[in-house]
Amino acid sequence: MLALAAGGYFGLRTLQPKAALPRPAAGLLGTTLPDAEGRPQRLEQWRGKVVVVNFWATWCAPCREEMPLFVRVQNELGGRGVQFVGIAVDQVEKVKPFARELGLNYPTLIGGYGAMELSRTLGNTVMALPFTVVIDRQGNIAYEQLGVIKPEALRRTLETLL
Amino acid sequence: MGTFPTSTGSPRKRLPADAWCACAVLALAGAGLLPFELGAAEPKLLPPEQAFRFAARALDERTLEARFTIADGYYLYRDKLKFTVADGVVANASLPPGKMKNDEFFGRVETYRGIVLVKLPVGTPITGRTLVLAADSQGCADAGVCYPPTQQKVTLELPAVGRGPGKIVDANPEKKNWFN
Repeated sequence: MLALAAGGYFGLRTLQPKAALPRPAAGLLGTTLPDAEGRPQRLEQWRGKVVVVNFWATWCAPCREEMPLFVRVQNELGGRGVQFVGIAVDQVEKVKPFARELGLNYPTLIGGYGAMELSRTLGNTVMALPFTVVIDRQGNIAYEQLGVIKPEALRRTLETLL
Repeated sequence: MGTFPTSTGSPRKRLPADAWCACAVLALAGAGLLPFELGAAEPKLLPPEQAFRFAARALDERTLEARFTIADGYYLYRDKLKFTVADGVVANASLPPGKMKNDEFFGRVETYRGIVLVKLPVGTPITGRTLVLAADSQGCADAGVCYPPTQQKVTLELPAVGRGPGKIVDANPEKKNWFN
């Protein structure tokens, strides 16, 4: 709150280096990665839905912390056109048991460390996790977040885009 | 609660101080020295090699000393810290104890903050030889993000027998970027 007020006061918002939102997600939607079963999956297949792409890893505690929320929201809003897609910066043998344990109800693709570079092209310049982008029905990135998403921010964003 | 300090200056008088303050904040933000970007929804985070600065020196002809300088608000996992020396020289690290942290997912984990010093015996004396010491580490920021495992390397020269410690070599020397 204070930071926002200060940002308004000093006009620092204009100094933010990131490209403005929304912006086309063509590069991300054109990406093909294997799923946990080794089948290639192109993100383009979910175009037209509101797609939440979450970069995560099993070695990342804050990532694991927020994933139960994604499972709940996928359950609640999947029928209305929300599709979560995980991209694991990890190895498939680590991802599979964790996905089972969590009862993951959305696909998670295996990106390995190369996925870190993909996230960098989307604005994750420090290359840390978790990093999440939301793609609107028109195929534009409408929201991005480095670090854990606040549940209310996620729900508000999704409701706006549905 | 004590009494609140009350300002005796008039708003007119305080204005220059505020303006100076704004300038200082802008200058710091411009130089990337503020931990949090004002007005941004996300904290400004350091790249891993700056959050976890690795340096090392040769203490003597058979011992290296590795040093991690961890920025405030960041921590490293003890069990992810690993040192290797190229050329088949084995370094046996005995890692200092960390601070026990109860992690919801990983159970009890040991973490390091601040400065971590690790002595690495390299076995038989090998004076005058150049060694490449690699450090693998993985850590997180209190802001709620984690970095992938990172490897940093330094090249060290082992001193002759009886000679004192070599100079500290930084894996990522600080860039002087004040003017660009």
